[in-house]
Amino acid sequence: MKFKLFFIFFAIITSSYSQGLQNIISGKVIDEKGEPLFGATIFVDNNLLASIVNENGNYVIKNIPQGKHLLKVSYLGYKTETKEVTVKNKENLKLDFFLNENTESLKQVSLLSKSEKTKTETKGFAVNVVETKEASLRNIQTNELLNTTVGVKIRQNGGLGSNVQYSLNGLSGSSVRIFIDGIPISMYGSSFSLNSIPPSMIKNIEVYKGVVPGHLADDALGGAINIVMKKGAKSNFNASISYGSFNTLQSNINGLYRFKKSGLTLKASTFYNYSANNYKVWGRGIVDIAPNGRTTEITAKMFNNAYKSIGGITQIGFTDVKWADQFFIGFTGSHDYKEIPNGAFMSTLPYKGRFMESDAKLTTLTYQKKDLVIKGLDININGLYGKRNRVVNDTVPWVYTWKGERLKDLKGNDIKYNWGSQQEKTQYGPVLNRISRNVASIRTGLSYEINKQNKILVNHVYSGLNREDHNEFLSALENTFKETKDLYKNIYSLSYELNAFNNQLKANLFGKHYRQKVLNNKPEFIDNPDGSKSVVEKVYNSNKNYNGYGFAFSYAILPNITLLTSAEKAVRLPSETEVFGNAGDNVRENVTIKPEISNNYNLGFRFGKFNIQKHSFTLTTNLFSRNIQDLISLPIDKDQLDQDDQVIYYVNLEKRSTSKGVELDLNYSYNNNLGLNFNMSHFNLTTLVNGLEVAVPNTPTFTMNAGVRYSIKDFFQKKSSLNLFYSAYFTDEFSYIKSQESGVRDDSNFSNIPLQFVQDLGISYAFPKEHFVISFDAKNIFDKTAYDNLSIQKPGRSFYIKLNYTINKF
Amino acid sequence: MKKQLFNLKTLTLALSSLLLVVGCKEDNDIDKEGITTETKDASDRWITVAGAKMGSNPGDGNGGTLVYAVSSKNAKDPNKVIAPFDYGYVVPSNRTARLQASEDGNTLFNITYAGDTGGSFFKYTVDGGQEFNQIGLPVTVAQYVGTAPRWIKLFDGDNTGAAVYVSTEDVINDNGTIDDVTDDVYVKTESKIAVVTISLANQEIIEFKDHTISLDDINAVKGYYISRIDMPVLNAAGDKLYIGAQVRKKDPTTLERDNDYDILGTKTIVLDYPSLDNPSIITSAIGHGNSNGYRSINAFEYNGDVYQANQSDPEGSHILKIGANNQYDNSYDFNLDTALGVTGAYVLAWRPAGNGKAVLAYRHEGSETGVAGAQGFFALVDLNAKTATTINEIPYEADFYLFQYQGFAVKGNEIFVTQAPVGKDGNIYAIDTETGAVTKGAQLKNVEGSHFIGTW
Repeated sequence: MKFKLFFIFFAIITSSYSQGLQNIISGKVIDEKGEPLFGATIFVDNNLLASIVNENGNYVIKNIPQGKHLLKVSYLGYKTETKEVTVKNKENLKLDFFLNENTESLKQVSLLSKSEKTKTETKGFAVNVVETKEASLRNIQTNELLNTTVGVKIRQNGGLGSNVQYSLNGLSGSSVRIFIDGIPISMYGSSFSLNSIPPSMIKNIEVYKGVVPGHLADDALGGAINIVMKKGAKSNFNASISYGSFNTLQSNINGLYRFKKSGLTLKASTFYNYSANNYKVWGRGIVDIAPNGRTTEITAKMFNNAYKSIGGITQIGFTDVKWADQFFIGFTGSHDYKEIPNGAFMSTLPYKGRFMESDAKLTTLTYQKKDLVIKGLDININGLYGKRNRVVNDTVPWVYTWKGERLKDLKGNDIKYNWGSQQEKTQYGPVLNRISRNVASIRTGLSYEINKQNKILVNHVYSGLNREDHNEFLSALENTFKETKDLYKNIYSLSYELNAFNNQLKANLFGKHYRQKVLNNKPEFIDNPDGSKSVVEKVYNSNKNYNGYGFAFSYAILPNITLLTSAEKAVRLPSETEVFGNAGDNVRENVTIKPEISNNYNLGFRFGKFNIQKHSFTLTTNLFSRNIQDLISLPIDKDQLDQDDQVIYYVNLEKRSTSKGVELDLNYSYNNNLGLNFNMSHFNLTTLVNGLEVAVPNTPTFTMNAGVRYSIKDFFQKKSSLNLFYSAYFTDEFSYIKSQESGVRDDSNFSNIPLQFVQDLGISYAFPKEHFVISFDAKNIFDKTAYDNLSIQKPGRSFYIKLNYTINKF
Repeated sequence: MKKQLFNLKTLTLALSSLLLVVGCKEDNDIDKEGITTETKDASDRWITVAGAKMGSNPGDGNGGTLVYAVSSKNAKDPNKVIAPFDYGYVVPSNRTARLQASEDGNTLFNITYAGDTGGSFFKYTVDGGQEFNQIGLPVTVAQYVGTAPRWIKLFDGDNTGAAVYVSTEDVINDNGTIDDVTDDVYVKTESKIAVVTISLANQEIIEFKDHTISLDDINAVKGYYISRIDMPVLNAAGDKLYIGAQVRKKDPTTLERDNDYDILGTKTIVLDYPSLDNPSIITSAIGHGNSNGYRSINAFEYNGDVYQANQSDPEGSHILKIGANNQYDNSYDFNLDTALGVTGAYVLAWRPAGNGKAVLAYRHEGSETGVAGAQGFFALVDLNAKTATTINEIPYEADFYLFQYQGFAVKGNEIFVTQAPVGKDGNIYAIDTETGAVTKGAQLKNVEGSHFIGTW
């Protein structure tokens, strides 16, 4: 059989050689706007010969036999074009194709954007581009979407709005930096975060693991997540409302209107989210308490767990005009309210009346222009300036039980906490803590394409943050003499991009220069000549400069096998506290502290896209390693030193951390109506301290996600479409502390975070013309207990329904 | 064609390796081999050995507290191997558990330190080996003293335990101007102490009281205040409860923590018992520094008086005496620097037998720094003769770390201690306090970065 096939193949080759060595057809494939359709396929006579359109929209087909041929050009999201040609001997034919967008199906539009996804994902970085198109029509939050991405683990404390920790290939906390259009998300505060921004306001999310390109430069030791907000210059309107379990309501409205003549563009988006998050919980800490202190486990409904966020962006500017592709001045305002139901664990005593509010008022600027002054010079500016505030409110002194009632003592009196608030602390009194910050950040990117092969990019990010703290319940004296810290960062990067051998080889070399300035404002009394006193702020500052560098390299060994490799010497600059300590905790400054350095490596392959009849699939794998040195920490014997009232300070420990692992991502589709995605990630995270290598506890090291989508066309009504979804999330069991030996008896299993296997179902129906899409989602359908953090239970089974309304043409 | 075959092969390889990863994970059978049933004669006593497993740094003890019980006969047998980290029982506690045992060694008490059941009192029967069985319902005291309480059993025939907490509040006179900081005057820092007593027998709360106290006016206005309290102990008459205290100082002009100040005479809070009323503060003229200890009991009743160790004393730790009149007996001067011939002696843990002779764990300025901190030593102490001698039969090295040391099982005049450097194997040693004879007992099997915190 094999031999036969080979023979036929050989025969075709030889026959075409003998018939017409010189016959060539070439031309352009572009869309209505003249944009090249990179990746479109051209078939000659039902797959006898084929070619793929390059980045500039050109194609070439050589060795065409003499005679009549049928050329078929297709591109996802576009109507297929067919042309008949007659080829004479030794002829060089020019044939251009114009493809029209196929507006009939939503799904194809989402596939269209995949070409950009593919472009980013094949540059050599260990990057995933998360698309929001489908999720935005469903009852899916941005964080949930991110969690399904390979190598990303979201650890959330509960329902909508709860505290989230992001982990990339095992590194988390301040090792992972999050950006909105390249601006650090910390500038926006918690009210405008991945918890509150709906997927419909986001174009896509780029997740860079370990190696972060120059244009996103920050001290991101373990990687970066960049949220790319929707740009666009087409008038559109979209609104959605979702309602479901735990009284969860989420709605948003997005609109853009462009005056065709002047290019004047108005954009507005708003969102509103609310959830009572009053789901059921049980477990060791969830108890009722008798006046004599005896506890009995109960199933309780969460209280003091509501979340509300509201926000909006309005922008005015010009799009697609001579002097700018995009120019906007805007205002972003947001506010959130979040009740805090418990401390670090769901312990026997829940919190009542402790909550946090935050808001941000920011002015924003966007400017983008391709071919600025000279061809090939592109500029991109994003900036913001404004103020954000946060208030922590904890003024209820009464003890509440999980039944939601006040706890009584043996004499029948309500019990008050010794420390006068819900959260345990050593300083007595209610808390109403206001933190105000002035924030400013601007990112400027310039890129110059010398020619098709060479490109140079220069980037600069500035971010500055100063803060003021004030506790309403403390005296002026206590509030005045609180040290505050301001942080200013300037990060410069220079990148060089190479595209060689007809896009077969792509390389990106970059260097980053970090400059950080920390100011410590220490108030002091001074005696005035007239005998009075006044307060002056004594400012101490620390300036630190560091360099980092890296590269990304991709090589298409075969058209559908690409080697992707990248490496970076990444840096995490010491934080304000690490530099200047914290007087309240007896931690003093250490201005000589060095940054944490990590050598990050990725080596991966991308196989695909393979098309076998109606099956198509892509497989991406990545092997990674992260090696962090000079870990910043308090000294190992800090408890001893603290007990003896000695001063301590942050140090670079003789300690290394290593994360090594593998991840795999498989996408399969059949006939464009069945889609399947599977990914898994497994790694080891260890630290080496005093020559002892130990696994880092409290780290979910093995995760898998799977998703299935099935589309049915013309369901019930003509030109409608029905989509069915299934998702499964698996996180292997892990231990909060070091796991115990097998012979040990651990009745309470108290440090285990059990295996999680959560399955969701969803259905969405797009009415004809696709103005309306209605979605229904059932999450955690088998009502499994889920924990990302020790003893902090997440919601069980829940249901949501969502209505979307969209107009794309006015 | 060839191309495609290669691709499929790679794919198959990748997928099968994935299956392998999944497959390996499921192979998780619990191997229960190696578990021994421990027995003891009816007249013998259980000796419970506790180990603190490493969390993220050697010697931090944050990886769980594991206990294992053997007969005292086995504890003294050098051929016996005890491996709590391999075959022990996990006592729920996020940080090192603070264990207490009944005098006969048959019952173990614990209050969980932090975590979801933080502040809950648990009672276990000791049945040998890893057999510790919880009895009764947990009793929480977190509503009074928080989820990480400091507690001790009172030596009243295993009837009562007491847990304590303190929060502080600065008192400022703003001279009627709330917003003008320049005329604000610091008055003092008040300490709100909370004390709860628990019935060990009935497993329930007996009494709770809180009081607001501060130091004498002269010292209070300088910024001295009680920052931590711990180590409650009952007097011989059983009508007063003494609570150890740590004193810190603030800078009265800025209210920031002061690090450079004169250390005051050691202080103890005295309360009526069992009412827990009438707080007063007594001060030693002999010792300076704190009396709140760390994880181990710091004060004991002996022969009608209470003997209390102090820490962070600039002259080195003392053993102080509180007389039957509930005042410091300043005629009793027992300085450990003098007695041991070292400088900067620091009592880490100690325990007297009924004969007034005690075993004491200490470090001093000359201690070497090991993986987890300063090296520790054991000494034999005579409360009456005011003598202390280092027990040289026990081997010492830099990694022998006793900062978290807690327990000394007492059987008659004999006291059992654990000896094992961080991450290394060691032995139990039985010290006859009367004769000073030291018996090398059972072997202690250690694991990386972990250490032993005593016997009960």
